[in-house]
Amino acid sequence: MEWLEPTREAFQLLFSGDAGLWQIIWTSLWCSAAAIMLIAPPSIGLGFLISKVAFPGRRALVVLIQALLSFPTVVVGLVVYMLLSRHGPLGFLKLLFTPQAMIIGYMVIALPVLVVFVLSAVQGADPRVYETARSLGAGRHRAAITTLFEVRFGVMAAVFNGFGRVVSEVGCSIMVGGNIGGLTRNIPTAIALETSKGEFAQGIALGFVLIAVAIGVNVALAWLQGRGGLE
Amino acid sequence: MSASLFMVEGLAKRFGDRVLFDGARLSLESGSGYVLTGANGTGKTTLLRIIAGLEPAETGQLIFRSQSSPVADYPEIWRQEIVYVHQQPYLFHTTIEMNLEYGLARHGVPHTARQVRVHEALTWAGLGDRREVPPHKLSGGEQQRAALARAKVLDPTLLLLDEPTANLDGDARRQVLELVTALCIENHTVVVASHDPEIIRLAILNRLHVSDRRIEAGD
Repeated sequence: MEWLEPTREAFQLLFSGDAGLWQIIWTSLWCSAAAIMLIAPPSIGLGFLISKVAFPGRRALVVLIQALLSFPTVVVGLVVYMLLSRHGPLGFLKLLFTPQAMIIGYMVIALPVLVVFVLSAVQGADPRVYETARSLGAGRHRAAITTLFEVRFGVMAAVFNGFGRVVSEVGCSIMVGGNIGGLTRNIPTAIALETSKGEFAQGIALGFVLIAVAIGVNVALAWLQGRGGLE
Repeated sequence: MSASLFMVEGLAKRFGDRVLFDGARLSLESGSGYVLTGANGTGKTTLLRIIAGLEPAETGQLIFRSQSSPVADYPEIWRQEIVYVHQQPYLFHTTIEMNLEYGLARHGVPHTARQVRVHEALTWAGLGDRREVPPHKLSGGEQQRAALARAKVLDPTLLLLDEPTANLDGDARRQVLELVTALCIENHTVVVASHDPEIIRLAILNRLHVSDRRIEAGD
């Protein structure tokens, strides 16, 4: 029962309000939430446009975005690192090893998730939705918003899945955030670090938090879907 | 004789190798009702959709209230006055009341006036007690009546109904038939695509028939 003692310590850490631990949790949550809030509107718009508007290269774009889904996050981290490093094209922004750099990386990681989910939701929507909206006097933008509202559960699933993907990723966070304690250390990087040092208690505590976040996100999604269905 | 409200000239439309219209013409007079007949697949629905700006066509000229426009460049402003109702209407996943409010909001009708007009339209359609109900809880006949009320509440200049009594029978069909008749009597310009003998026999409706890639008027 070697794991019992670290688990007891983990709960002690969580419920004693350990400042270092809660700082890590806060960094994870706010960076992930900020990235999703920033990337969701353009991703949803892009997903809608790709599904509704025919243009040359559309198929290739869909294949590219789907391929991005399976890109290792560490590769995304590498690309963002090169862009933000001192000699990179965005080096003048001096963002490397800051939470902002992590947010940029998360946005890149979340974009294909959001686009593919929204694309799929809109393609599955009844074509009469858009036509009905247009025929009732809605302009193109309003009809697009109406269509997205009709497939809102798919759009919400996109947002929640995007959040789930970035809140749990390690590679990009370490590459562009640097795992700096009190600044860019988040739940996944802290788990990796503490476990490598043999400090299992904090790793287990953060693991519990990550699982709680995953469950919480899914409970929130299920609750919203239940309410939205007007059952 | 009423003035021409809407005209179609030189309409050509094809789906792949299948030619639906080739140089077709149509004239709709203000305040008149029309029933559009024709065999399945001759283009009745397509014609209504072209008039509503929902379907592109190869060539043709549309004229609404003396304003002429190529069929490929349907003016947005016309959508404020021309309403199309699908054969199987789509009701948004909100409530019946919000479905009726949707178009009014797009037309810029203030909230208070919207409430009054929605109430009147729901009463007209016999759905006064169903305003808060989500559409999927309505029967097929109620859904069709809700769609007619949603179109009527906008007081459209030109109303296009695609097979409004299809897939309905018994009381549901009779109720929808009464609403369609009422719309035609209320001085709207209405075009009803239909196979329903009772609609075709309505004396207040002028006959339009689609055949041989053209639209013919008369019996």
